[in-house]
Amino acid sequence: MPPKPKRDNGPAKRPISITAVVDCVGALATGSVHGNLYLYDTNKAGGSTGLGTEELRTRVRRGDQILWSVLALECEAYTAIDGILIDPEVCEPVRKVYPGTDVAYWIGTIKTDAVQHVPYQIKFRLGSRDEPIVSTLSPSLVG
Amino acid sequence: MAQQLAIIVLVDIGNALETNTLEGNTYLFDNMKLHGSEGQGTGDLVTAIHGAYWRDGSQATEQVLNWLPYSLGSIPPTVPRSYQSDRARQSDEQALAELEAVTAKAGAPGADPTPELDHIRQVAGRRVKTTRRTRGRLSGQKVLDVTGQVVTEATAAYSYPGPVITDIYGQAVDEKIMYPAEYGSPDLVTDGWYWSATVDSSRPGTYAYTMRIQLHKLVQRGGETLWEPVNLTCESKLLITSEPKRNGFTGAGLGWLPIAPQAAQPQTAQPQTAQPQTAQPQTPQPQTPQSAAPQPGAPQFPQSAGQPQAPATPHS
Repeated sequence: MPPKPKRDNGPAKRPISITAVVDCVGALATGSVHGNLYLYDTNKAGGSTGLGTEELRTRVRRGDQILWSVLALECEAYTAIDGILIDPEVCEPVRKVYPGTDVAYWIGTIKTDAVQHVPYQIKFRLGSRDEPIVSTLSPSLVG
Repeated sequence: MAQQLAIIVLVDIGNALETNTLEGNTYLFDNMKLHGSEGQGTGDLVTAIHGAYWRDGSQATEQVLNWLPYSLGSIPPTVPRSYQSDRARQSDEQALAELEAVTAKAGAPGADPTPELDHIRQVAGRRVKTTRRTRGRLSGQKVLDVTGQVVTEATAAYSYPGPVITDIYGQAVDEKIMYPAEYGSPDLVTDGWYWSATVDSSRPGTYAYTMRIQLHKLVQRGGETLWEPVNLTCESKLLITSEPKRNGFTGAGLGWLPIAPQAAQPQTAQPQTAQPQTAQPQTPQPQTPQSAAPQPGAPQFPQSAGQPQAPATPHS
């Protein structure tokens, strides 16, 4: 009997996910995420560059949803995003949580066609440190 | 206790499925950056593994490697282990509650339940058919998007299940440098299963290994939704060096282990002046039966309690 025909459901329009991988121990030891931060997104095929660096350049278009999340190198270490500092004319990320959990992500929509090069910064909460640590080098959204 | 070393395998599953390769779509990290690992966050990680010897060259413990495969752009691994099942159950409960409300109103004259039923269909989402190959962690789940909401439409963006390592093999295994195996545990992050290996650090060098990784893409077959497994491979390397274990916690100063009694003892009497660097060379006290007779092939190190020079570590 011949196999039933199958259909791949993707690719569909999905948010562009930006993942910040943080070496929490290194960042707490130095008081900075510089050298301890690796940024990635899921839009490499769309033209994003600088994956794995602190200066990720994410290619976006008007209407794109951008979702920021964080991943700790040490799974026991507390790591969270405390804020996304970006021009609100371009994107206004808001904090949300996965339903039924306290695991947070930040999500926003690109509001303008005129995205040339929009740098932004990420504020992190790490371990038991009281003050957030802000990214030193700036990742950016590019059109 | 053996030292636990971790290697994170971060996979851009969407791109990997699109291009049918893990090359360029896998990013590797470990927690040995300060020990000399190179290529952090790239697909070319070389994991530095120090030996685990006492300073007399005898075997102290074994180094243990753990692999943690994560998905880039999916629901993060930090949600509870049962998150997918919990969301499926919650959506069922909500759909049943709404259906009960619709049923109660069904007898009313002129009532059109169509909008409510459409909403219930959305709340219920799509359940993925369990097959022989997806039985277990993917069974009975519903399709979720990257924000954790159940997905109803066939074209909706969905969150890929995390990658699964199904085998580790290659030079480092063939030459008996490491002994990998899959273990079960109550680990909350990795769904209870993980790959781990003990490492023979008596033979310094660089050794390659290959991971076979299973991804899943959502397909429809015969009107049913199911996860189709896709098996791909990626490579990485271990850089084995043969060094004695170092101390960094007792307040006796940075030095090799075990700390010589003459170096450690003054710390009790005069904790402010204890300096192992100034201790006179002496013969260390054996800590284990093996200490008296170093293993054949084990590296030999100076016997003093000072700061010995580690032997040169040849790399292939």
